[in-house]
Amino acid sequence: MSDWTETYRPTTLSEVRGNNKARDKLKEWAETWDDHRDAVIVHGSPGVGKTSAAHALANDLGWPVMELNASDSRGADVIERVAGEAAKSGTLTGGESGRRLVILDEADNFHGNADYGGSREVTRVVKSANQPMVLVANEFYDMSQSLRSACETIEFRDVSKRSIVPVLRDICRREDIEFEDEALQKIAEDTSGDLRSAVNDLQAVAEEAERLTVDDVVTGDRDTTEGIFDFLDTLIKEEDAEGALKASYDVDENPDEMLNWIEDNVPKDYQGAELADAYEFLANADRWLGRVRSTQNYSFWRYASDNMTAGVAASRREPKGGWTRYGPPSYWRKLGSSKGTRKTRDAIAERIAEREGTSVGTARREIMPFLSAMTHHCKNRELTVRMAATYDLDEKEVSFVTGSGKSTNKVQSIVEDAEELITEQTVEHSGSAFFNASDSETDPEAETDAKADSPAGDEASQAASDGQGQGQETLVSAGEDGNSSSSDEPADEPAETGAPDETDDDQSGLNDFF
Amino acid sequence: MFKAIVSAETLTSALDSISVLVDECKIHLEEDGLEIRAVDPANVGMVDLSLDAAAFESYEADGGLIGVDLSRLEDIAGMAESGQLIQFELDEETRKLHIQIDGLEYTLALIDPDSIRQEPDIPELDLPAEVVLEGKDVNRSVTAADMVSDHIALGVDDGDESFYVDAEGDTDDVHLELTEADLIDLQAGPAHSLFSLDYLKDMNKAIPSNTEVTLHLGEEFPVKIYFGFAEGQGQVTYMLAPRIQSD
Repeated sequence: MSDWTETYRPTTLSEVRGNNKARDKLKEWAETWDDHRDAVIVHGSPGVGKTSAAHALANDLGWPVMELNASDSRGADVIERVAGEAAKSGTLTGGESGRRLVILDEADNFHGNADYGGSREVTRVVKSANQPMVLVANEFYDMSQSLRSACETIEFRDVSKRSIVPVLRDICRREDIEFEDEALQKIAEDTSGDLRSAVNDLQAVAEEAERLTVDDVVTGDRDTTEGIFDFLDTLIKEEDAEGALKASYDVDENPDEMLNWIEDNVPKDYQGAELADAYEFLANADRWLGRVRSTQNYSFWRYASDNMTAGVAASRREPKGGWTRYGPPSYWRKLGSSKGTRKTRDAIAERIAEREGTSVGTARREIMPFLSAMTHHCKNRELTVRMAATYDLDEKEVSFVTGSGKSTNKVQSIVEDAEELITEQTVEHSGSAFFNASDSETDPEAETDAKADSPAGDEASQAASDGQGQGQETLVSAGEDGNSSSSDEPADEPAETGAPDETDDDQSGLNDFF
Repeated sequence: MFKAIVSAETLTSALDSISVLVDECKIHLEEDGLEIRAVDPANVGMVDLSLDAAAFESYEADGGLIGVDLSRLEDIAGMAESGQLIQFELDEETRKLHIQIDGLEYTLALIDPDSIRQEPDIPELDLPAEVVLEGKDVNRSVTAADMVSDHIALGVDDGDESFYVDAEGDTDDVHLELTEADLIDLQAGPAHSLFSLDYLKDMNKAIPSNTEVTLHLGEEFPVKIYFGFAEGQGQVTYMLAPRIQSD
């Protein structure tokens, strides 16, 4: 048996039900297209007849149709080649004056790598189109501002129960199905504005029953997806462990996303010990997700789900109530906004790791914090210069480690001095080879330079020139001397706690240049 | 029922001329030969191909319809060395096509023809100008235009009795004129239309350089490109919708 939503798809605009206003607007848009030459965005909930209306329109006007929908791959190149060409060319029958309707379905949904650059290309095609284009979308605001402002807009509203029932009745008559009017009412009610679902439901129920009664409709109840916000309410405030788990089955999010949602919103209602318990379970869930990732065994998802839903619900100790403003997870947004910072951090860590013979992870976790503390706000200028020279850091990176502004004179002069230092050392190293001397000449110069530039680093530079073995002491004294009260703590801490083992790593690096 | 033996060259040229526009197509297995009609996803280019039974070494069919993945079939045809023969036999039960090249046997799963884009109706067009030229001149025109632009104007000068090709780039222009002496035949009429070079380039790939090509042209109308292959026992007609000249 064929799909009724296809069999009874409207072939002309006058058969499109509900949304009479939008329908007339669409028709008017098409008829006046030669004057305004704008594309149109048709948006509204799923199943209200947007795509059907577009096809019916083309059929009414006798225009050939070019359609791209989400089942095609829609990368920038495909859109340019297919939609772009269709929008710029005349038709095979009418030549240049022939009109073709270009329908871009699900224009708000460009997914992943397959559709890379798609949405931007759509905007370009729309702006240069010589043929009428209809963009069909569910979420108007998921499309870019530039695309929205380049198009006219027509909204399709949910189809009212009053309009759905006659459609169902008409189909029943044509399919020769006996029915109770209330059964149709019930179907229309259950599908809340989604005409396509209503037709699907009708077909599902009718396949089983000779005569359609209200009771049949109840048995043919359809699965509905529960919104994530409602689910959070259920999970955090209402259900017990079992109930929360069952409720999660109806939510259309994968466990990774769901974890982010829960983790971000649980602290808005849970407090103290119960919150700690909830996070314990969330941590478990996260560990299971990690196992899924490393083993690719997706059956582990069930343990992740158990933990994040049942676990969190079971941790609740106080009854919750009222209304809470839940929000979308900030995880991806944070990742996005910290992308630049993380890139800088990793670039520095890579260089440190190479220099010190550690892993990048160790450099990042165990060396960089100490460097950061020791060179806080470039207080210990001389040390900062040496660090910049050792790891070949530029302004941005020095500012990242020290926390000073990137464009400040302080940071810029440090980088300049570091470059000088590198040049000197190169000369020094090669010096003995080529000139057989000059150690004694370069050293004092460097010392006086450093002194003149930074009184704070005085002692350090002296100590540095004093002896190599005392590098450790130098750093500590420099930290103590040079730091104002605010930076005291971070500077001291590494010297005290980290010095015996961890700081050894970076010391060896700095020592090379003492 | 479908059983045929064909030379690798003939099959390859037939497939190549279709695959420039579509990835999948329907093949009509008529009693007197193969028929393929297809239109590209953008609805801009169309191809109509027929390959007479005489082009085959042997041919038996009774009007079936199959759907094929063209790149698959091209790959298989590519396995044959030049001069080798390719045998086809359709298994109606399993809807699979058995292909044999000497000792090599390949069973190709067919595509449900209903899932392939509908075949176009061939539009009746009254195109006033007709130009007959050699394949290599088409190639030269397209290659020259491709240096400067992504579109090309084809036209016939009514007074001078010549066929011309214009391409305007951002900075450089190309103009190529072929007079009656350069052409095999010319029926002058008012004709000037703009076309996408991407399509013409692809179609050009399928045109053998030593063949006679007939162009039908009009004012801001589609172009019809006709040529034969397999010693005249195969015919290809391309149609290409014009670009709209933006103001």
